[in-house]
Amino acid sequence: MDAIDGWWDEFFWGSVVVVELFFVALILTVLFGLIGSAAKLSKNRVANAIASGYTIVFRGTPEILVLLLFYFGSAIALTSIAQIFDPEIKFVDFPPFWAGSFAIALIIGSYATETFRGAFLGVDPGQVEAARALGLSNLQTFIYVRIPAMWRLALPPFGNHMLSLIKDTALVAIIGLEETLFVAEKAIAYSAKPFTMYILVGVIYLGFSTVITLSVMVLEKYANKHLEVAG
Amino acid sequence: MSFDFDLILDSIPKMLMGIGLTFQLLFLSLLLGTALAIILLIMRISGRWYLSWPTMVYIYIFRGTPILVQIFIIYYGFPQLEFIREGIFWPILKEPFGCAIVALTLNTGAYVSEIFRGGVIGVDRGLKEAGAALGLSATHRFIYITAPIAIRLCLPAYSNDVISLQKSTALASTITLLDMTGIARTIVAETYAPYEVFISLMCIYLILTWVIQRSFGWLEKRMSRHIREEV
Repeated sequence: MDAIDGWWDEFFWGSVVVVELFFVALILTVLFGLIGSAAKLSKNRVANAIASGYTIVFRGTPEILVLLLFYFGSAIALTSIAQIFDPEIKFVDFPPFWAGSFAIALIIGSYATETFRGAFLGVDPGQVEAARALGLSNLQTFIYVRIPAMWRLALPPFGNHMLSLIKDTALVAIIGLEETLFVAEKAIAYSAKPFTMYILVGVIYLGFSTVITLSVMVLEKYANKHLEVAG
Repeated sequence: MSFDFDLILDSIPKMLMGIGLTFQLLFLSLLLGTALAIILLIMRISGRWYLSWPTMVYIYIFRGTPILVQIFIIYYGFPQLEFIREGIFWPILKEPFGCAIVALTLNTGAYVSEIFRGGVIGVDRGLKEAGAALGLSATHRFIYITAPIAIRLCLPAYSNDVISLQKSTALASTITLLDMTGIARTIVAETYAPYEVFISLMCIYLILTWVIQRSFGWLEKRMSRHIREEV
């Protein structure tokens, strides 16, 4: 354990990066999931085809490939754009944080698309008809009727998606983001204690997973409060 | 920024040289992982706390930490420990291939055993009671009544896990193995053409995913043919 002394603050800041990455990617995941499920449920054939292509590609290919493609691909795209303005520029680096959060959000978003689609289909059509009868607009129906009814159904599988999301943040160390796994590599280069350092990373992630699992349990209780029997 | 088709035609055969390694990683760890999952399942449902508690802790740890961290602990971390370097498993653990197999097996075993447990829970109580009334022992009930029904019930979830395992094999490239992803990363490092190489590799993985999905779809249909005939 002595080997970790002096690295605690680095691991702490690494964990902060993980949390930041998690929340940015989570927001994007929900966004991609909502757009994807809306496209899948729409009657527009083009939207359907694009959404199906999206879920097939991102659920069927390794996460690490998507991440590498995003990171190196965006760097090349940015470089060629920058060279239009200034031919002297040799290389523009895309921030690994954003490449990572976009790549992870696109991957988990493809799973969320399927979850949200199923949840929207599970909303009682009678409730939607009742909202229409009350004169609510499409947007109002969506916000006040569909979403509250849908997220109760989507929550259990979405909890699992959040667990995958937090675990996928570890991959971003591969493209050089200074999160816990990256800190561990630095610490190992210094102290040559790989087992201790990687176990610590594992413990940190186990802590995050536990917090997410407990939060989802609390949220599920809150979401189904109206179903509890009084007394 | 242009799409270099010659490079694609050139790199696909090179990447396919690694498909054998990808298949070895997939099938070997699937086989061992499923065997491990069955052992874990039997321990978990044995009803003895000293068997089920360690199983729950094991599953909690392996499902709560990133597979990449698990791979790093086994490949980079274990050599730090004296008793592992002198233990009987050292010939396996000193090779990156052995480490990848061990990590993927331990990881997938945890996930699959939970899938199997879901299947076992889904078996109708009445059937087990009928078996008991016919005088079948607990072992016979498990083999002849519970297992065949549970396998049918958990086949869809199992096929999803095979696909995630296939995606996880790509992480073997992080510990110097030259599977398809490892070769692709080498090519990109040489040519700096991430779009061409990574996108064509994603297509290869998509084909593999499709084949896995199709095979399990066929298997599911075949195993539930006694139900479909009534319709």
